[in-house]
Parts: sequence; C-alpha cells; structure tokens
Amino acid sequence: MEDKVKEILMNLFELEFVDETCSQETCEKWDSMGQLNLVVELETEFDITLEPEEIGEMKSYGDIIRILQAKIQ
Amino acid sequence: MNCFVFRNNTVERFFPKGYLFSGYDDISVIPSEADGYVWFYQAPLRPDISAAVEELDGYLPKLEFVLSSIPSDKTLIALTMDLYWSTPLTDDDYRLQEAVAGYNAALLERRKDSPNLKVLDISDFTSNYPKEAILDWKYYFISQMGLNPKLSGDFLSWWQRKLDGIALKRKKCIVLDLDNTLWGGVLGEDGISGIKIGGDYPGKAFSFFQKSLLELSRAGVILAVCSKNNEEEVYEAWEKNPYLILRKEHFSTWRINWTDKATNLKSMAEELNIGLDSFVFVDDNPSERELVRQLLPMVAVPDFPSQPYGLPTFFNQILSDYFKVYSVTEEDRNKVAQYKANAARRQSRQAFSDFGAFLTSLELHLTVEPINEFNITRVAQMTQKTNQFNLTTKRYTESDIRKMADEGMRIWCLSVSDRFGDDGITGVAILDGDTIDSFLLSCRILGKGIETAFLKSVLSELRKNGCSSVNADYCPTSKNRQVAEFYDQNGFSCSAEYPDGKKTYVLDLQDADLHIAEYYDIQIIGYGR
Repeated sequence: MEDKVKEILMNLFELEFVDETCSQETCEKWDSMGQLNLVVELETEFDITLEPEEIGEMKSYGDIIRILQAKIQ
Repeated sequence: MNCFVFRNNTVERFFPKGYLFSGYDDISVIPSEADGYVWFYQAPLRPDISAAVEELDGYLPKLEFVLSSIPSDKTLIALTMDLYWSTPLTDDDYRLQEAVAGYNAALLERRKDSPNLKVLDISDFTSNYPKEAILDWKYYFISQMGLNPKLSGDFLSWWQRKLDGIALKRKKCIVLDLDNTLWGGVLGEDGISGIKIGGDYPGKAFSFFQKSLLELSRAGVILAVCSKNNEEEVYEAWEKNPYLILRKEHFSTWRINWTDKATNLKSMAEELNIGLDSFVFVDDNPSERELVRQLLPMVAVPDFPSQPYGLPTFFNQILSDYFKVYSVTEEDRNKVAQYKANAARRQSRQAFSDFGAFLTSLELHLTVEPINEFNITRVAQMTQKTNQFNLTTKRYTESDIRKMADEGMRIWCLSVSDRFGDDGITGVAILDGDTIDSFLLSCRILGKGIETAFLKSVLSELRKNGCSSVNADYCPTSKNRQVAEFYDQNGFSCSAEYPDGKKTYVLDLQDADLHIAEYYDIQIIGYGR
C-alpha cells in the first residue's frame, strides 16, 4: 500500500521521490485542486470512500497512510 | 492548445493540461491571447427553484458579453446544459426544465449570428451514465463539483473526439461484407430471395442497418463492399431482391471475389485514391477481422455484434468513433456521386488515344476565386484532410484561415466541373505575400493536368499584382512523395535542400511561361473585383 500511495503522490504532484516528510507544506502542487485529484485517485485505487472529515485531515503522506490503514482493516 | 474555460463549477479535471479557467461564474477576465474558448455552465444546484431559475437566466447575458469580447477569428465551444438534479414540490412545476430548455435553445439560435460559436450537446456524454453516477454530492460540497470527478477520464476522451469533429477529422470509407453483415444468411446457399432482409426479424434489423448506412453515405462517407461471393450472383441480388436498400449504385467500388481481404482493401485504397488509415472494415467473421488487423493495422476494425438486434447500437458506436464530425459541407454530401463520376471518367479515357483529345472531351471548367463565407469551411477541411497532393501539409482550422485572410494573405480556391459532374472545391492555394504557404489538391481530380493550370492561374494573378518572383517550399511527409518534383516540373529553381528533405524554390515571374493549355475553360475571379 505504501508504494502505491508514493506512486500516486509522485505522479500527481510531479515529484522525484516521496518519503515520510511529504506534506502540503513541502509540496508545491499539493493545493486544493491537488487534494481533490488525490482523493479521487485514492478512492479509485483502493476502492474505498473517504469521508469529508478524513479528507480534511489528510495533509501529509503520514496522514494518508494512517487513514488508509484504518479504512482497509 | 491553450484554451480558456468559462465555468460556474469546478471542472479543471475534465480538460487537458494547459487549459486555463475563469473564476466561478466570473467573466471579468477574458484573455485575448487564448487559442480558443470554452463555455461550460452547469445547472445551478439549489433547493429554491425560483432562485435557481433566476441564477440560470443570468448566464446568457454573460455568454453574450464573452462572445462579443473574444476575437471573432477564435472559436468558442459552448456545452449545453443538462438537468440531473431538480426538486420541484409539485408535478406541475416545470420552471427549471423550461429555463434549461430555453438556455439550450438560445445557444443553438445564437450560432446563426456567430460562425465561431460551436455548440456541443453535453447529454451526448452524460446520457451514458445513471443520474447517481453523474453527480456525487460529497464532491459538490467539498469541491463544488457539479459533475462527478470520477468521470473525468471518460470525459477527456469524449472531449478529444469532439475536438476532432470540430476540426472535421474523420474516416472516409466504410468497407462492408455482405453475408450476415448487410443481410442475414448466405447468398450462395440461400439464394437471392432466401437471404434475410426486410420483413420480420432478423430481416428487419438488417434493413435498419442498411438504412443507417444509406444516411451515412448521404453525409459523404464512401460505401464499399468486400465479400467472398460470386460477383454475378451479387449483381443479380442487387437488381432483383426488392427488399435491399443498398444496391450497386450506392457503392463507390467493390471487390466480390475469393482473394484475401487485405489484398482487396489495398487495391480499393489505390482505386479510390485514399489512404488505408481512412478505412473502416466491417465484417461479421472474426477471422477476416483478425486478418485485416494483423496485415493492415492502420485500418479500423470494430467488433461486430453477435446478434442482428445489436446492429443499431453497433452503428451508433462506429458513427461516434469514426464518422461523426461537427458539420458536413456540400462537397461532403456530393462525394459519393463524385467517386462514381470518376469511375465513368476512367472508362471514357480508355476510348481516346490522345490525352489532349481526352481532356477536350471532358469539357473541363475551372473556377479560381478568393476565399469567401461559403467556401471557408471547405478550405479548412481540405487543409486538414489532404495528404497526398499537398506541398507543405500545413493544417489549419477555420479560425486560422479567417485570421490569415484578415491579415491579408491571399487564399485561392479552385472548383472544377466537367461533363460528368461537379467536383466542387478541390484545390486551395495560400499565398503569404510572394510566398506559397500552401498548395493542395484533392486526389480525385488529378490526372488531368489541372494542378498545373491552377498553379499558373494563381501565379498570373500574382504577376498582375506586380510581384516579380515567387518563393515556394516542398515539405516531405510519409504521404506526399508524388509532389516531390512538382515545382521542378513547373519551371521553379530549387534554391536550397535540407537534410530533412525540405526543398525551397524560387521562380522569376517575368520570364515564366504562364500560358495555360486550351483544354481548360478557366474563369478567374480576382481579389477586389
């Protein structure tokens, strides 16, 4: 799952690599439109529905992994 | 393409990279440097219907303002509005439906005054999905999306097809099998009255398919037949079976023999003088389709429905995948007749031993005239579609052509008719000052020396305007080899040759021989006359 999330982040935000430090703060293209595209990608890839509250909390790579792990288990 | 989109909801995901967007329902910024414009307003989502209607009624004056503000040589593509959410409290409350219908009717009506306004029907896309897939309220509330973001991939492909349609790109010819494709059953076994066409199902379904194809040919798509059958038997069926809709006269050419279909397709492409990449091959037999896919990968080969009742859906699919364009010109509609006339000309030619006598017998009339409102669509279309007799292969949209004409470039159109029929506009020459920017002719009029007569007519006009010499280029492509020597043959001197094969030419107009042989009756309508 981690690798897939990293791949999505790299493609969406045109990054060379993604690690634990990746967040809205450090990533220029991760704006509100980027957030929307990210949510659509994650929902499609993992076949889940993210709730608006979760989407609001999702501000970094770590947040994504935490929320996805809770969802998928 | 760097288009600017006016919108009232979030739509960024639905358009290609490089597009720019207005603020929500904001027309305060109208950048004049965009390549084109898009108007995509979605029905307001409000529980209060009178407020929704009032908001909707405010959109049209804004569109009007945008139309009057953008450069008139650039295209504005407006999408119609679709209503997939409405909560009237009573069944007799049609206010929102009426407002949406009025908005759409106004868009269509508005095209009459603005040739640069193209209207696309959004329901052509949305009707493929159930309501709940079109609008996802979660995304509306968090991102103001009136259209489910998960449809963006499909929408992008749809959008690209529609842009191709506006650029008038499409396939030119559909090649059809006969047995179990145009009729049910096998002619060789069931006989001319035993094949299933007309009457009850499945004959009814095949009749529907044949009528659809007849309509397609009326829009200028060439119909051809490729079938493993006895030719004589097929002629007899075409003549005697009263239920057949498509008969000999509807097909521009046919190969009814036992040769493999790839070979037949190649020879038809040569005869019709169009590329194999303009062909769509329709056959019920999967092994024939596979053979063509393998040997001729440039030919489009759609799957064929397993049951005759699947034919209407199948027809719709190939229509939207290969043949639908934004509009068709008069020349398109006449194309089928023109290809038939060509066959008659070829036969007539065999009766003359002297080429000059043959040309005289054709009673050729050539008209060379400047571009005007009636032929501009056709001119743009020709620059898009002509591959073989095209010296520089520059592709232009109608907007480009308008702009070039406004900038003072001289754009000449050639129409040709003879005793067999009128070919309409089949040649275009674009002159940028004393340089030939584009020179192209439709292949179906070649073989009569018309290319030289047209070139000389245009050069004479140039000389009359005081030009002492003219420059020209040949830019090679994979398809235009036949014109590599065209300027050499017409007295131009090659001034430079580049590693990529491009050649530049110059011709001294003072000494040039611009006399045109007497086989051609030429009328030149000059600029400013």
